[in-house]
Amino acid sequence: MLKAAIDADIFRETIDVISALVTECRLQVSDAGIQTRAVDTANVAMVSIEVRPEAFTSFTATTQELGMDIAKMKNIIAMMNKGDLLSLDLPEDGHKLALTFRGYKYSITLLDVNTIRKEPNMPNLDLPGRIILSGNALNSAIKAASVISDKIALGIDPTAGIFYMEAEGDTDQIRLEMGKDELESLSMTEARSLFSLDYLKDMGKVMSRATQVEVLLGNDHPVKFLFDIADGKGHVEYLLAPRIEAD
Amino acid sequence: MGVAIRDLLADYKTTVEWNSLGGIGAIDAHNALYQFLSIIRQPDGTPLMDREGRVTSHLSGIFFRTINFLEKGIRPVFIFDGPPPEFKAETVRERRETRRVAGELWIKALKEGDTEEAYRQARSSSRVDAQIIGSAKELLRLMKIPFVDAPSEGEAQAASMARNGVVSYAVSQDYDALLFGAPVLVRNLTVSSRRKVRGRTIVVRPERIILRDVLEGHSLSREDLIKIGILIGTDFNPGIRGVGAKTALKIVRQDRFLETIREKSPDFDFEPVLQFFLEPPNTSSYSLQWGDPNPDEILAFLCETYDFAEERIQTALDKIVQRGGQRTLDQWF
Repeated sequence: MLKAAIDADIFRETIDVISALVTECRLQVSDAGIQTRAVDTANVAMVSIEVRPEAFTSFTATTQELGMDIAKMKNIIAMMNKGDLLSLDLPEDGHKLALTFRGYKYSITLLDVNTIRKEPNMPNLDLPGRIILSGNALNSAIKAASVISDKIALGIDPTAGIFYMEAEGDTDQIRLEMGKDELESLSMTEARSLFSLDYLKDMGKVMSRATQVEVLLGNDHPVKFLFDIADGKGHVEYLLAPRIEAD
Repeated sequence: MGVAIRDLLADYKTTVEWNSLGGIGAIDAHNALYQFLSIIRQPDGTPLMDREGRVTSHLSGIFFRTINFLEKGIRPVFIFDGPPPEFKAETVRERRETRRVAGELWIKALKEGDTEEAYRQARSSSRVDAQIIGSAKELLRLMKIPFVDAPSEGEAQAASMARNGVVSYAVSQDYDALLFGAPVLVRNLTVSSRRKVRGRTIVVRPERIILRDVLEGHSLSREDLIKIGILIGTDFNPGIRGVGAKTALKIVRQDRFLETIREKSPDFDFEPVLQFFLEPPNTSSYSLQWGDPNPDEILAFLCETYDFAEERIQTALDKIVQRGGQRTLDQWF
């Protein structure tokens, strides 16, 4: 059973976070709120998100696992207006989730959870580099790099005391350096890994709304992005596998 | 081959798009190899061979199909058969005989210049032997694709891995995996969407069968489904003469399974077969790891050892190696 009401914008934010990586997921619902963890089909990136009951206007739920068609949700959200209040209603043992807003009532058939990939474990990673910056600055850097390349290196140079992002196209190059003054926080640990902009572009769009994004970085290791949504009542972790640096 | 419950599944097969199949697929290796050996042949039935006359149809099949899987975001693990259970001996003997006869008829048809008949008989003579399995495993090793040696039937092992959530689904053309309890079975994962059936070309698309839908739809338990299989005939028993899927469904629904077996096949002890399907031997000692393939090793194996055309292999390898620049999260789990 699930009976909840939520601001349409917060719901949109939640779905956007997930849809940046997957088109369907197993959504864990309980009295602790909603939670999901999913890996994209190519096994390159992972999203882990939790939204606490306080993010909702009202929230009652029993523990259950729902098969969500995220792509479909995204289309439905496009029908909502800013400020709409969305009610979610799923009866006990029901297979159809009712979404009501502005007099519209969608009845959405849930997916069979058995057809959706199991939730992965969170890998144990040692990522010594840590940077905190605004989501907007991060997204801008990603966009700037994607003008000339399809991959970007993120790194920390402890000697120069900077966090840098650099990208190389066939003929062109871009480099952005940020010192302690421009960052909320920077650890002085050497780190550098290369990432695909295909993935980062979609993630960056979502992260641009966060006031703060914590970036955890290693050497030729995945990168982890941590940030809040729903005014701090929800939390997201993105994980992205690196590309191999070719000499 | 396999259990003929197709008639009961018609309403529960869903055609699915490749991109919705992302995840880990447990491939029934014997089924796939047999398919490659029977399909990848010249018009007169001659399989692909290298200079020394060694059959290479299966290597071509594994290589191109695996590349296609990886491109589509499917991570395959191949499950090889272990020793068959005792009560499969009769089936094994019959199949061997069928292949032997087909082999003779193939040669006869070739002599008579009947290409169509030659092709048909050649397909039936396909044989998955130790050399085929050995070279298939070697190729998988080089492609850094994991495989598992089942303690008994490969489909049973695939089903148990799917039940435990280790893999997303079982992949086989046969339906036995459903009897073994695979929650999801996927068929038709072929590179080409065209298949020749009795001279006509038809388009095949991946299809997914969800066990729970089948059971709920027919109001059956898995044990009931196995009993239906036993009545029709499985790889482990010949079945009751004249009983097809629909009749078997009726018999099981009316709770006349025991009675029917006693009456029509009094000497047949169905209990071991039923138990085998319910609790098949399986192993949990395997490691599933997908690594970055080394293109040079694969080229050397396929092109130097087995005479494949280098250009074709290289083009296919480019597809995964370009992406190969991108690591997956697997190695960090």
